[in-house]
Amino acid sequence: MSVAGIPRTEHPSLEAMRMFARSPVAVGGLVLLIAILLVSLVGPLVYVADPFDIVAAPLSPPFSDGALLGSDQQGRDVLTGLIYGGRATLTVGAAAALISVVIGITIGAVAGYFGGTVDEALMRFTEFFQVLPSLLFAMVLVTLFSPTLTTVVLAIGVVSWPGTARLTRAEFLKIKQYDFVAAELAIGARRGRIMWKVILPNALPPLVVSATLAVGAAILFEASLSFLGLGDPNRMSWGLMIGSSRSYMLSSWWAVTFPGLMIFLTVLAVSLIGDGLNDALNPKLRERR
Amino acid sequence: MRRAIAAFITTLALAAAATASAQEPRRGGTLVMGQSTGTTSFNNAVGSGTGIMVPGAQIFASPVMHDDKWNPKPYLAESWELSPDSLSMTLHLRKDAVFHDGKPVTSEDVAFSILTIRDNHPFNTMLAPVERVDTPDAATAIIRLKHPHPALLYAMGPPLMPILPKHIYGDGRPIKTHPNNTRDVVGSGPFKLVEFKPGDQIVLERFDRFFIKDRPYLDRIILKTYPDSQTSILELEAGRLLLQPFFNRVLELDRAKTNPQLVITNEGYAAVGGINWLLFNNKRKPFDDVRVRQAFAYAIDRDFIVKALHKGLSKVATGPIHSGFPQYSADVTRYSLNLKKAEELLDAAGLKKGPDGIRLKVTCDYYPGDEDGQKRLAEYMKPALKKIGIEVEVRAPADFAAWAKRMATKDFDISMDAAFAWGDPVIGVNRTYLSTNIRPLVFTNNAQYENPKVDELLGAAGREPDAAKRKALYGEFQKIVTADLPLFWLTELPYHTIYNKRVHNPPTTIWGTASPMLDVWLSEK
Repeated sequence: MSVAGIPRTEHPSLEAMRMFARSPVAVGGLVLLIAILLVSLVGPLVYVADPFDIVAAPLSPPFSDGALLGSDQQGRDVLTGLIYGGRATLTVGAAAALISVVIGITIGAVAGYFGGTVDEALMRFTEFFQVLPSLLFAMVLVTLFSPTLTTVVLAIGVVSWPGTARLTRAEFLKIKQYDFVAAELAIGARRGRIMWKVILPNALPPLVVSATLAVGAAILFEASLSFLGLGDPNRMSWGLMIGSSRSYMLSSWWAVTFPGLMIFLTVLAVSLIGDGLNDALNPKLRERR
Repeated sequence: MRRAIAAFITTLALAAAATASAQEPRRGGTLVMGQSTGTTSFNNAVGSGTGIMVPGAQIFASPVMHDDKWNPKPYLAESWELSPDSLSMTLHLRKDAVFHDGKPVTSEDVAFSILTIRDNHPFNTMLAPVERVDTPDAATAIIRLKHPHPALLYAMGPPLMPILPKHIYGDGRPIKTHPNNTRDVVGSGPFKLVEFKPGDQIVLERFDRFFIKDRPYLDRIILKTYPDSQTSILELEAGRLLLQPFFNRVLELDRAKTNPQLVITNEGYAAVGGINWLLFNNKRKPFDDVRVRQAFAYAIDRDFIVKALHKGLSKVATGPIHSGFPQYSADVTRYSLNLKKAEELLDAAGLKKGPDGIRLKVTCDYYPGDEDGQKRLAEYMKPALKKIGIEVEVRAPADFAAWAKRMATKDFDISMDAAFAWGDPVIGVNRTYLSTNIRPLVFTNNAQYENPKVDELLGAAGREPDAAKRKALYGEFQKIVTADLPLFWLTELPYHTIYNKRVHNPPTTIWGTASPMLDVWLSEK
């Protein structure tokens, strides 16, 4: 972030990091997320098993032989599912959030910068996506192209970008009126440079927060789709675990509770980080402290 | 002492009288029945499926009915006889039967209906041998056959042969889209249609001029559509729904078992004969090798499926014919879990394990809409077949049409599949095994199995009038296909009826609720 209007004693991103580290809640979230990432990424390397293997009688309760946290309706181990299911869930969360942020920022930036008819057209297009109930729309997409990890990621990405687009557009509309943008224009900078190198970095703080929250939202989305039976049946994910055992919720709580808890913790961690980032990156709050 | 004995006898007599009065059928009442598939038409002369057959069998009467032992019983036909050469079946019709519009049922109507069914019904083998129907007088119809056709006795049953009034359905309009298929339906059965809200409910009312005296007992049948099995079970528990036929969700059945107000039974599905299986694409490598198909069979633990996944509510299917059928034979090649043998067979077929322990990667499709009978079994294939080095990728179909298209275009490795037999092998079993039925359609010979001996046996058995000889022919057929294994039978589908204790004489004949509900009655509480 090279361009800023106000002189500073310290690099702003360093200061933000310091602010972030000072908030115990945000750090707690980060620690939690790192722990979950470790379990999901390193766990399968340490604990080698197939989450689809039948290891015990279906719906064995926790502490049964071979199934520490119980087994699901097919007799698959819940613990193995938790360790292996994280990869798919986190991949979907991150990839879908990335897609939604890329689409959102591109459309929002173009609309906000150019304004006029371009803005008008792009915003009507955005509204078209906004008025569709997003879960229903994602369900239609997944149903149309059959549920695989890729289609689930694409579907979530495609339905969840309008918020980011709106936010980006608002930031661009605001920042493009600032003097430093006028200065860049005056020295003859090209449009691409102004958009991506001048305005975008200054619009980033709220976008980073929104992207972080988008990861949590995407994970919940994946869980909802799987809950409705629209997850990829070949990739163990926490959502799939809940989805395939949801009918047994009343008789066998463990098959849905543990994956549900993992999703809850992940989304909580991501939200806490988002909150911490918001506090750290918001100049007004920064001054208050 | 004598007094005590007298008192004892009186008590016994009183108790007997009390039970007798409790069992005395009672007129009146409304039976609320659930169905999982919505009704799109009531004309079961041109359509199949429980959504059409169950209401159709109440509205239309058929020449014969069947009891729970496969015996034909008089219905519209008082009696019938087969000529010695088995080439003509003479039906003697009741003279007092009338349609819901008051016109009499005559042999003209019977002839019209039989030919309509022959030419339009999706089960095209059912009446294919019918050459013509003669009507010497109003109460006699003679069905002339091209060759002996013993399946005819079942094809004349309630779900398959509704007698349509010729003066309504024979008006020249195309029968499959006839307006009277869905409104102002006119039959001669025990109930008439009074209200039809597609996707919601059907109201059938007692037909007071029905030709069997004092029947039916019920005043009204309301058929409600519940696409979600959990809704049906909640409605059953609340006592708002009294009878739910064709129910196969294991979890809800298990739950109904423990409810003192509800009874579950698997009687009434004998002729339906539903079996599910794993279909191999016999024309695609390596499934063209019988050793590979057999290896799959030795790796799949059907006892686990029945006991663990179906909670003991289904039964292992040993071959192509349901064990409730008279033609069933237990003398077949049996397959039970034997991983060692499975691996040997795969090795012999040249499918060696790679460095990652994988011999073969296959995709597995399944017919959507039957969670316990299809989807969960497809998911089970993954861990089961992994043990012998086969990696399974479950291809979840988007909807029925998507799966049907894969079947029709033979774009699959293996798939879960199922079919109903509907009373006779000729009607519902042959279609899966005859080489002449390899067609670009769902529910045909999608394994693309070709065995001239099987074609010949099925042809001969279909024409064999002698029941014992016929059974022997089907026995040989079952022996051959269980050895060839074009597909691997898993379970007899766990179809059950759940009903409230208020319902007496629930339909338990071979056709179950796809048969007229003449004897069903309701008690107060």
